[in-house]
Order: sequence, then C-alpha cells, then structure tokens
Amino acid sequence: MKTLLSTVSAVGLALAVFSGGSFSAQAAGTLVVGTDVDAGTLDPRLARDSTAYRVADLVYAGLVHITPKLEPVPDLAESWETPDPQTFIFKLRPGLKFSDGSPLTADDVVFTYSTLLNPDFSSPIRALFTPVKAVTAVDAQTVKFELAAPYAPLLTYLDVGIISKKAAESGQDISTKPVGAGPMKLASWNRGSDITLEANPDYWRGAPSIDKVTLKVIGDNSARAQAFEAGDLDVIQSPLSPQDITRLAGDDRFGNVKMAGLGVTYLNFNAKDPLLADPKMRQALSMLVDQQTIVNDIYQGVDQVASSLILPSSWAYSADIKQPTFNVEGAVKLLNELGWKDTNSDGILDKDGKPLTITLATHSEDPNRVQALEFMQAVFQQAGVEAKAQISDWPSFSTNYVQQGKHQIALLGWLNIVDPDRLMYAQFTTGGPTNWGGYSNAEVDTLLNEGRSTLDQAKRTEVYQKAATILASDLPYFVISDQGYQMFYQKDLPTEVQATPRGYLRGLIGLND
Amino acid sequence: MIAYIIRRLLLLIPLAIGMVVVTFALLLIIPGDPASVLLGQEATPEAIATLRANLGLDDPWYIRLWDYFAALAHGDMGQSIFQSQPVSTIIAGRLAATIELAVVSLVLATILGLVLGVISAIWQGSIIDTATMLLAQLGVSMPVYWLGLLLMLLFAVNLGWLPAIGRGEPLLDALAAALSGRPEVLIKSLSHIALPAFALAVNSAAIISRLVRTSMLEILREDFIRTAYAKGLRRPRVIVRHALRNALLPVLSVIGLRFGALLGGAVLTETIFAWPGLGQLTISAISQRDLPLIQGIVLTFAIIFALVNLIVDLLYAAVDPRIRLG
Repeated sequence: MKTLLSTVSAVGLALAVFSGGSFSAQAAGTLVVGTDVDAGTLDPRLARDSTAYRVADLVYAGLVHITPKLEPVPDLAESWETPDPQTFIFKLRPGLKFSDGSPLTADDVVFTYSTLLNPDFSSPIRALFTPVKAVTAVDAQTVKFELAAPYAPLLTYLDVGIISKKAAESGQDISTKPVGAGPMKLASWNRGSDITLEANPDYWRGAPSIDKVTLKVIGDNSARAQAFEAGDLDVIQSPLSPQDITRLAGDDRFGNVKMAGLGVTYLNFNAKDPLLADPKMRQALSMLVDQQTIVNDIYQGVDQVASSLILPSSWAYSADIKQPTFNVEGAVKLLNELGWKDTNSDGILDKDGKPLTITLATHSEDPNRVQALEFMQAVFQQAGVEAKAQISDWPSFSTNYVQQGKHQIALLGWLNIVDPDRLMYAQFTTGGPTNWGGYSNAEVDTLLNEGRSTLDQAKRTEVYQKAATILASDLPYFVISDQGYQMFYQKDLPTEVQATPRGYLRGLIGLND
Repeated sequence: MIAYIIRRLLLLIPLAIGMVVVTFALLLIIPGDPASVLLGQEATPEAIATLRANLGLDDPWYIRLWDYFAALAHGDMGQSIFQSQPVSTIIAGRLAATIELAVVSLVLATILGLVLGVISAIWQGSIIDTATMLLAQLGVSMPVYWLGLLLMLLFAVNLGWLPAIGRGEPLLDALAAALSGRPEVLIKSLSHIALPAFALAVNSAAIISRLVRTSMLEILREDFIRTAYAKGLRRPRVIVRHALRNALLPVLSVIGLRFGALLGGAVLTETIFAWPGLGQLTISAISQRDLPLIQGIVLTFAIIFALVNLIVDLLYAAVDPRIRLG
C-alpha cells in the first residue's frame, strides 16, 4: 500500500503545472482533505462521525496507536504488561506534554477513561469498555486497568485520545476547543465548512512534516469528487460514488489506494419471527441473494463478496468458512422441503393456503443499499417469494424498527470492526445488547466468551473460526459484502502516502508506522 | 404607514407560535429519536434510556412544548443536541452566508429575468423571443442540484476559471477591503459566489422572465403607450418609463415569493458547493433528529420570509401610488 511519491517526478509535476490553474490548494507543507460531514464534536470520548474520529486521531494521542494492519503499537504508552488476564498495566513515556504545554500524566488517562465509563456521560463507545471495572493511577507514569472478566479486544480500543484533566475541569469546552497530545492541534473550526489543524511540535515523535491540514466539508459525493478534480482538494476518500471512482481511477494525475475496509453490509434475519425461526428457511432465503451482481454492478467492485462473519482484513480470516451462495434452484428445493409449494399456480409459493410473504427493509440514505434491496426483491419474486420492500430514513429504520426487533429481513451495516469480537459478541450472544433478531445458541455463547478470555491470538483465531462456521449455517446474519476503503490523492503531495482502512490521516502527514 | 408596519410586525408573534407548534407536532410524528442516533448502533438499551432521560425526551409533549416556549420568551432557542452549542449561536454563525447567497441570487435572477423578459416582449415572435423562452423553459425544468454539478464540471473542473467549492470573505467585508485598496479579496469572494448564486438564480430568472414578458406584452397594447408614442417620445423611453414601470407590479410580488423559494433552494445548492450556510445545517439537523436545532432553523426561515414579504408590500405601495397600506 505504500506509494513513494518521490518517484513520480517530471510527469507528475508537469501535469500539476498544467492542471493546477489559479485555484490549486497545493502549497508547501499543507494538505487539504475533502470530507462528507462536519465533525459533531472534537471530544474523543464523544466522537461519533468519521470526521470527528479522523480529526481526533490527529489532535489527540491514545495509549496505543492502531497500525494499518490493525495491530496496537505504543503511542503515549511506552510499554504494557498483563500480570493476569484481568489486569493491564501501562507505562507512560517520560516528559509527555499536551499542546498547551502542560504535562500529561497518569491522572489524565484515569480522568479520560473514568468519565468515558460514566453512564451519564453517554459516550457512544462506552459499550466497548463494559468489562472494565476500574482504571487507576499507580504513580504519575503508570496506569492500571482492572477487568471484571478477561477481555482480549481491549488493547485495540485503547487508541481513544487522552484529554487534559486540567483543561476539562477548568470548564474549557473540550468539544470545541480540544487540548490533546497528538501530532497536530486545532487552529480554527468554521462549523459546517472547514477544520484547520497545525503541527504540534510537542508531540512525542516531534512535529509531523506537514505544517497544516485542512478538512473541507462537502456533503455531496459527486461535488466532492469534482472539487478534487478541480484541484481544490488534495485527498478524498470513502464514501465515494462508484461512477466517480471509475472516472478518477482512469486519471493519471491522481494516486489511488484501494484496500479491504472495516465494515460489512449484511442481512439481519429476525430469528424470533415465526417464519424465519428455522435456520433452513434462512438458508433458503440466503441462497436467493446474488452477491456477485450486487457487488459488481451496484457497488462497482469497490466492495468484495463476503463469505463469512470474519473480515478479510482480520488476522482471524479464513477463506474456508462459507455461507450459502447464490442458487435459485437450490433455494426453491429447500423451500419445497419446508412445505412451501405453489399449489394454486399463481407463481407464489404457499403453505396451508397462505402465500410466502416477506418484508425486506433498509434505510433511504444509502442509494446503493436501496438499489440492492430492490434487486433482491426482484429475485425473491422470481423464485416465488412475495417480497415487500420497506424503505425509511435511518432514525426511523434503526431506532423504531430493527433495534426493536420488528423487522423480518433488514439490510444494514457495521463499521470499525477492528476485532472479530466487535461483530459477534454483542450481536449473537443470548440477550446481547445488539442481538436485535433474538438469536440464541449455547455453543456460540460459549465460543464467543472464550474468544474474549484469552490473549493468545492463535487460540482466538481457532475459536472465532469455529463460531463463524456455526453462524454461517445458522445465519442470524447473512453477510453480503465486505466494504472496501478507497482514497484518491494528487500525485504532487509533499509526503509519502500510507493509507489505513479507517481513513485516518497520520499516514499522510509523514507519520508512517 | 408606521402603524401598518408595527401591526405587521406584531403579527409575527402568532406566526412564530404557529410555526413552532406545527414543527413540534411534525417532529413528534416522525419516528426515530436523537438519543439513539447520538449513541450509535452499538449502544445498549440502558444507555439510550439514560440519555433520553437526561435530554428530557421522556417528558410528556405538553411539558416539552411549554418549556420550549418559556425559554423562547427569554430569547433562548435551546441547546443543539449534537453540536453542544446554543442553537442561536449556531444559526447566527450560518445565517449571513445563506442570506448573502439568497440576496445575490435574487438580484441576479431579477436582472436576468427583466432583461430577457423585456427583450422577448419587444421582439415578440422573433427568433430572439423563441430562443429566450426556450431557455426559460429549460431553466424552469432544470433541478438546481443537477445544474449545480454541470456548472461545476464546466467552470471549475474543465475550464478551471472558478473555484468549485467554499466561500471567500463575506461580500460586505470584501467590498470594504476592495475600497481600501485590496481588490483581490473582492475578486476572490465574487469568484466563490458566482457558481452557487447562478445555479440558484436560474430557476427564478426563468420564472421572472416569463412573467415580465407576459405583462409587458399586455401593457404595450394599452392606450397610454400609443399616446406616449403619439406625443413623439422615443421607443426606449416609452419602454422603460411607461411600459416597464407598470409591468413591474406583478413581478414585484413574485420576487417576494421567490425569496422563499431561494431560501429553500439554498438547502440543495449549499450542499453541492459546500457553502457554509443554514441549508447544509438543515439537512444534517433533520437526519440527526436534532430537535432544538430544527425548531430554531424553521423559526428563523419563517421570520425571514415574513419580513421579506413585508418589505415587498411596502415596495408595492412605493411603486404604485394607487395602493394604500393601512
């Protein structure tokens, strides 16, 4: 994924001169990045949109940093040890400083995590830290995490930015005036328009080689792509429209990075629904999903056909675990075995005088999902399943529908799956907080608990592969595609480009791993 | 006159109350609540319940409505749920950009509409007339969203003449800078506003030009026009002083209504050209169910619209001495 820009010399430069025009954003040591939404807050504990995450990653530093390969490496913490599976002890680097010059100590780490864990603080990531019982300062340089139960994924979540206790307690609004110890600091924020950051010389690795980063908010995907082509932006990244991707990829003024992302698009089967309670029924309907066409024609090949709940970007991935694949005849045969037959020759299967009717639902914000749903509806119909499509906006769809288990089959997604636990534990354990379809399997419960309890990656791999194998035939979820991540950049960028599946920007300001 | 203005301004109060109640009712009816949007998919049901209670979403609707009015009476529009800032601060930061875009578009639309309308009326039935009206037909039917992208493709991507996105210094500041010897600031501001203002203006310009043409054609057949010619007045003077002045009346009322349409159109235009105004804010506030912010924006739009219509009514009286306000 590394592209050495210094090798792109004469041609790139000449093109830049001819294409730059009078409005080129490029100047020495600056970077202008296009983004789809404005950050809601710059408090890392409350960040919930991709822009907030990306800015927080630059303004703050966490105990660990997550590499593009999703491995935690030391950032503010110099080292750590686990004397037993329920205790993590972190040693901070000496002489750490916030961007306002004040020292960063264990107290700041304790403050960050204890506020985050407070239910009244309503942090969107609090659920990730449920097993954490206490965070304490052993001394000014040492922090101890005590867990209620072993929790292997913890390390990959500890990249949350550490905030300044002094600034927060003195009443400074961290969400608009952040004080962090990351490679950059906030210079200005014009709400709805742009966020400008400047280099922080106090970062422990020293100032990055880029002096200034500006994130410009352009809500419309095509408009953002055009602003990039016009030279107003140096970098754009997912989400991008497939049509724009095809055009930009064919333009040799631009560099292009495409990698497996951290999200999935999947069908959520409601296991509590009488019609879908039998795994065989879920298998039959899964065989009606033409993943190849959805991925190639609707997602234009940016996403990849998924085969199981373990992402290709994960260390636990195995190509041997396979969900059912597209097979209309097989599906109809299975449905016939279940008693659904077309007795009245109206083209729709029926049983006990009732036609086989099912509701497919998704949300309206993502046109690709709407299109995929409508395509599936057509295939279901051809196979003799009366399919209704229900499309509403995200808040109505998620809060009042799927999250209350009112759906039959819902098309949606999960993001930020840095650890297999994050896509399985809360979703499939009996009574799990996001187990909206009410799936329950004692063996899966045991395996998923085992997966959390050991730090041994080989053992974890084995456990998750076992669980994923069961889930690939039980099918509480049918994973349609593994989301891809894509970035385009002007070839005359002053630094080397290292992309990450999360779209973080440290790899663009000279801070490669 | 003064009494009339005061009466119209007082009418704003029931209008504001009505707007708040209607918006509030709509927001109660549409499903989805900000607590779960705020916490994301991974949130536990308990966490959502806690946040709902903290945000006061569990209170009965009449208490929430009463609380809102009580605060509003003190000039407090509440706190945005997602941006952790007072709604009034957020709107104040964005309002000027939207008004600037809408006003520049309105001026552009009026000038274009008048010129095209008059030209095609004078040369009725000629090729110029047909071409102009064809253009107007195209302008009326073209969605601002699509036109915006086309303009950007041509002028920013292919020709590289204008920037694709963003806003320069506010126009008034830029004007002051230009007067104090820094014309480049004004040029930059104008280059930024050109594409969004034009994209937004096209639809209104088309409507205005058609209206001007029709009312000009009507008036050019009136007796007083013939009299004016008979007096020996030259054609440009007759058209501008006699015909256009009378043709302006219906146009004026449409211009007032168009301002409302421009504010609405700004929502889409701003999203495409990354213009940092209220339009973009509206879309994100609705998709996040940021209730206080939506309320505040709707209220602001309603008051602006009412004020603009008041100004139009006053202008009406100024242009036509037969109309008396009172």
